[in-house]
Amino acid sequence: MNKNESELNRRDFLKKGTSVATLMALMGGVELRADDAKPAAAPAEPELTKIPDLPRLNFGIIGMGVQGRAILDTLQHFPQQKEENGPHVIAICDNYKRALTRNSEAAPKAQQYEDYNELLANKDIHAVIVATPTYLHKDIAIAAMKAGKHVYCEAPLAHTVEDAKAIARAARDSVRYFQSGLQERSHPQRQYLLPFVRSGAAGKQVMARAQWHNKQSWQRPSSNPDRDKIVNWRLHSETSAGLAGEIGIHQLDAVSWFWKARPTAVNGFGSILLWNDGRDLPDTMQAILEYPEGARFMYDATLASGFDADYELYHGVDATIMLRDNKAWMFKEVDAPLLGWEVYARKDQFYKETGVALVANATKQTALGTKATEDSAYPYTALHYCLENFVINAVAINAAVDDYIQLYGDSDQKTMAQQMQTAKQIAFKHHPAATWQDGLDATVIALKTHEAVMKNTRIKFENEWFEV
Amino acid sequence: MKTRLIFTTLALISALAVQAADGIRYQAQPAGNKVRIEGTSTAHDWEMEGTLIGGFVEFESAVQFDTAQATIPGLKDKKLAIKSLVIVPVRSVKSDAKAMAQVMDGLMQDALKEADFKKIECRISELTFKEPHAAGKPFEFDAAGELAIAGVTNKVTFPVTIDVVEKDKLKITGSAPVKMTAYGVKPPAPSFGLGLMKCGDDVKVIFDWNIAKTATTASK
Repeated sequence: MNKNESELNRRDFLKKGTSVATLMALMGGVELRADDAKPAAAPAEPELTKIPDLPRLNFGIIGMGVQGRAILDTLQHFPQQKEENGPHVIAICDNYKRALTRNSEAAPKAQQYEDYNELLANKDIHAVIVATPTYLHKDIAIAAMKAGKHVYCEAPLAHTVEDAKAIARAARDSVRYFQSGLQERSHPQRQYLLPFVRSGAAGKQVMARAQWHNKQSWQRPSSNPDRDKIVNWRLHSETSAGLAGEIGIHQLDAVSWFWKARPTAVNGFGSILLWNDGRDLPDTMQAILEYPEGARFMYDATLASGFDADYELYHGVDATIMLRDNKAWMFKEVDAPLLGWEVYARKDQFYKETGVALVANATKQTALGTKATEDSAYPYTALHYCLENFVINAVAINAAVDDYIQLYGDSDQKTMAQQMQTAKQIAFKHHPAATWQDGLDATVIALKTHEAVMKNTRIKFENEWFEV
Repeated sequence: MKTRLIFTTLALISALAVQAADGIRYQAQPAGNKVRIEGTSTAHDWEMEGTLIGGFVEFESAVQFDTAQATIPGLKDKKLAIKSLVIVPVRSVKSDAKAMAQVMDGLMQDALKEADFKKIECRISELTFKEPHAAGKPFEFDAAGELAIAGVTNKVTFPVTIDVVEKDKLKITGSAPVKMTAYGVKPPAPSFGLGLMKCGDDVKVIFDWNIAKTATTASK
């Protein structure tokens, strides 16, 4: 499920009028960003990561619905494609023929498959992206790994814990590269903030709050009732993990990731309040997740109100960090100790507050402008950064596997998988992305939150759910 | 069918060749290997590391390693004549720097002409035993042979140790000084930020390599 799916919401409205960045600035926010070296007068043209000059890999996409199309579009628009050094999408697959023909123009050179097994049998394909509805992930992802493909599996991994564990187990044992589609984990803004939050720069974390508000039905048009059930799989409990699983997973994962902790329990509430159209999943949900040492995370998602779109708040005793629109601000408490970097940071006067921005080399004139807070240092979507790291890491692991086989042969797959761990750790370190364990953790948290919402109850997390 | 016959014939010839040499062949094992390159620069010291070392070592059949003993059967004038090939894929050796690691990898691969010479190869032909040997400790030798980097081959000598890890399994550890320019390799001098960093010409290659007797020869 793509968090960046283009839909009309309040966020778009705000962008057209007063930008969120400006609003935050007026509230006295300190913008936290990694790439602050460029002055606001010359907005950041990001330095693009070069895909290593290694043997080129061929990619196949399975599932050409909304998310599959977004993935194809992102891959085809990699800046590296201009130099013909981007990923080759040589195959697309969907069991609905029109979904394939719809993408003929976007992927003119791609072979079209209606059966994913046939795509997996194509030896020229090195890596596969699984973008089918969640409930179909398991068989496809496992078959892809068995076929020796590098695999990117959309989040959540599956719509049951058992299926998610089966995928995670196969990924653990796979020689090849596996990446879970928790796109936010690859976003440079979040990578920058991660050590900031974990280091305690905002003080002890006491509470988190996040929301995803988007007034829309999630109904997709279909030609007949049979097709309707397939197209609108997100609306029915037998195929969908609901708001918590299909969209909330990204924010639910973010808090556990930043706090480096798994929740101990979740309390859920859900209702159908606007879209009473035959669906059996709530269009509005709230959840409170309990973490060790008493901190709680309040989350709500709704299709019935678009107010204030989506954001996350991390409340520390010294400062609160807000993340929205892939930008971050820090709001300091009046009694918070001075952090070292503030001395060198840009200072903005906002109403009664003096905000300190992380903009190196900014002049006073620049500081007084609004550009620095309005232009993101990161022009791409989280999906872009996520897929870019998938491509780069798959290329690196592919090379490592080839080298290994040349030296030692491929008869002992178990030892080869163990030895590839080092190469994978290096890959994840330099090009961060969600591992199979990250994917499993997030899936369990999201699925259990969804279960709590469906039952309007409290569920205690068990360690066994996170283990393979 | 014809292809299978050719392969079978080749396999037989290879097997006969091993037996004719009357040697004991130890083959590279995939686990527990480490190759580390340590260098200097005008800015700071740097390191690169890999875990892939392939190849083989072939000793004469009389050679037996038992670290509890003071010497090694099969020594001739304190020397062991061996056949060996040690292979390290260039791209498998990576920087572990916290920042710019990939840049360092790219620079090193360019400097080592990885596009044309994908492997670093070392052929050791002679081991000179160092006495005295303390019982229970690894055997110490001076290794002599040839090292090929970036298409240039030079004669080398460097110290190695051989330890018996378990039955029929040896661990070879060594440290070889390498002058980059001797192999036609220009020490990388990347331009970072405001300054120019220049790598030193001398690097040290440190390795731990695990080898095991192959099934064919072990049964001898």
